[in-house]
Amino acid sequence: MSYILQSIFNGLLAGCIYALFAMGLTMVYRVLNFVNFAHGELIMWGAYLLYLFMGDPFHFPLYVALIPALGFTILLGLGMDWIVFKPLRRTNRLTLLIAALGISFFLRNGAQLFWGAELRTYGFEIKRGWRLFHISMTANQMAIILATLGCIIIVYLLLYRSIIGKAMRAVSDNLELARVTGINAKKTIRFTWIISSALACVGGILLALDTNLQPGMGMINLVKAFAAILLGGVGNVWGALWGGIFIGLAENLSVLFISTGYKDSIAFGMMVLLLLLRPRVLYGSQE
Amino acid sequence: MRKITYWVFIIVVISLIFLPPANSQETYKVGAAIALSGSIAVYGEGFKKAIDLATDEMNGKGGIKGKKLEIIYEDNKSTPKDCVSAVRKLITVDKVPVIIGPAASSNFMAAAPVAQESKVVMISAQGAAPALTKAGEYIFRVFPSDVLQGKGISDLCLKLGYMEVPIMYVNNDWGLGLKNVFVENFKKAGGKVLDEIPYDEKKTDYRTELIRATKGNPKAVVNLTYIVEGSVMFKQAYEMGIQTQWICGSAAKAPKLVELAGKAVEGIIGTYPVFSQETKEYQAFRSLWTKKYGDAKIPIFGEYNYDMVHLIAMAIDRGGYTADGIRKALFEVAKGYRGVTGDKTFDQDRGVGSEYGVWTIKDGQIIDYKK
Repeated sequence: MSYILQSIFNGLLAGCIYALFAMGLTMVYRVLNFVNFAHGELIMWGAYLLYLFMGDPFHFPLYVALIPALGFTILLGLGMDWIVFKPLRRTNRLTLLIAALGISFFLRNGAQLFWGAELRTYGFEIKRGWRLFHISMTANQMAIILATLGCIIIVYLLLYRSIIGKAMRAVSDNLELARVTGINAKKTIRFTWIISSALACVGGILLALDTNLQPGMGMINLVKAFAAILLGGVGNVWGALWGGIFIGLAENLSVLFISTGYKDSIAFGMMVLLLLLRPRVLYGSQE
Repeated sequence: MRKITYWVFIIVVISLIFLPPANSQETYKVGAAIALSGSIAVYGEGFKKAIDLATDEMNGKGGIKGKKLEIIYEDNKSTPKDCVSAVRKLITVDKVPVIIGPAASSNFMAAAPVAQESKVVMISAQGAAPALTKAGEYIFRVFPSDVLQGKGISDLCLKLGYMEVPIMYVNNDWGLGLKNVFVENFKKAGGKVLDEIPYDEKKTDYRTELIRATKGNPKAVVNLTYIVEGSVMFKQAYEMGIQTQWICGSAAKAPKLVELAGKAVEGIIGTYPVFSQETKEYQAFRSLWTKKYGDAKIPIFGEYNYDMVHLIAMAIDRGGYTADGIRKALFEVAKGYRGVTGDKTFDQDRGVGSEYGVWTIKDGQIIDYKK
């Protein structure tokens, strides 16, 4: 029994991480109408920036280092848009997609240049987890769940309880119409990048706290985030949240019955099935 | 436009005339398709240091027949696909007759047929998969096959009284090959394999696999893992409060594992091909290493890479700078040769033998296991 409970808990954890990645990714898709392949690198840079500010020459404690890490990741997201995506805004989606792939390679190799390809950790001491109802959990894992909840609440408040969130939803519905009605589209797009980058940074840091830092860490998990987005309906923020958690759970529970060698195929199998059965998910669901 | 074409033509002709022919070059070039980026770059950096050490030592002594040995590094990016490209580039562009092959058995075996077809010698200093050299007569290894190690791990389990164990392994040619040899030997000796759990490389979360492996609280778990996967896994096992005796192979025996996973790897044990550290060859190697790099932190497989470069140089010296010359001379020069890693005589499968020892981690140090 504890075996199943622990699997569910692990599934939730993985799901939280996927959901944080998927929410940011889908938000950019909704407003700008393209899949940002470089989102994985925002995740990775977020984690590495924290590593930078905690190590030489800064030596900030974790909670202080979080602030510049978050700030610089947001700047990176905004810079990406300003330098590459903005001049390409009027071109077709394929061009944007390829540009995003290019940035992804550039940023990944850039990180490798600075920090090397080897695995790193933040260097915190490893602690035995607590046991609660036969489930073992660590402080980092509690932080993952709490931070995810926090992010969800903040995203909800921003999207549905603020003027800028309303503008964002309007721009995503119809950019031209939103412009005509006097919505500042530029400001809205900037705002979208800020939230998306911040979510990527938080997710990346949590992932690295729980595991390790590695230049490829964003890319690997981004694929799962794609699956989550498809599952929840492209462009739907809450769909991405549920999609992420669902995939995390499905992956972790499925291996109780089948060989662990097929763990990754679960997410992709679901993705393929969904595309076959409900191809309309690609067009996004309107609320 | 025609003028430009004309001049390009002229330049090409001139450069063809004045380009020195391949065999009158100033150095003996040896290709090295090793991992400088990607998932196993953590190993590659150490290999490069060991290869450079041997090369510099040789060149310091006047090189081979007055010519210097030069290593052409080509990053194989840790993927089978890029290993093939790297080896192909070394063969077609640099025209080397001998290549230091990629690490990780899957990567090596992907590139081996390319070297074999082009009739270029390729050598592995750390590939352990039993089928590693089956691509053909141009493929060699200076590292012992897992047929020996699989039996070593099985014997270790039996010796320690673990008759029922689950086995976890990296889902690639190396992991699968070693697992099969282990399972075969272990069952033959009366042991029972509780479960077989393959897992993917490069993942950040192995909790599910760990839960499945430790279902029913087995006293020991065999885990055939690499450094990166091992560090993630042992850390997560520690956090989850899993208490069992971990038994590993040789690929996890690295200071880097301790650095990454800290006290989570205290007490794990494993087998590894042993060679005496008391020999004069080893002492000389160690003092050379310390002199060049300032510490005695010799990376995993470093000694094998060092021996390999020496064997290549001796083979070029004996057989001449052609692939066939090197291939034939390798058998002759290696016969009875005592390197840092012991006797390097090649058997009919172009591999070497070895003895197996047991390592463990105590107080953050990798030491020989004694019970």
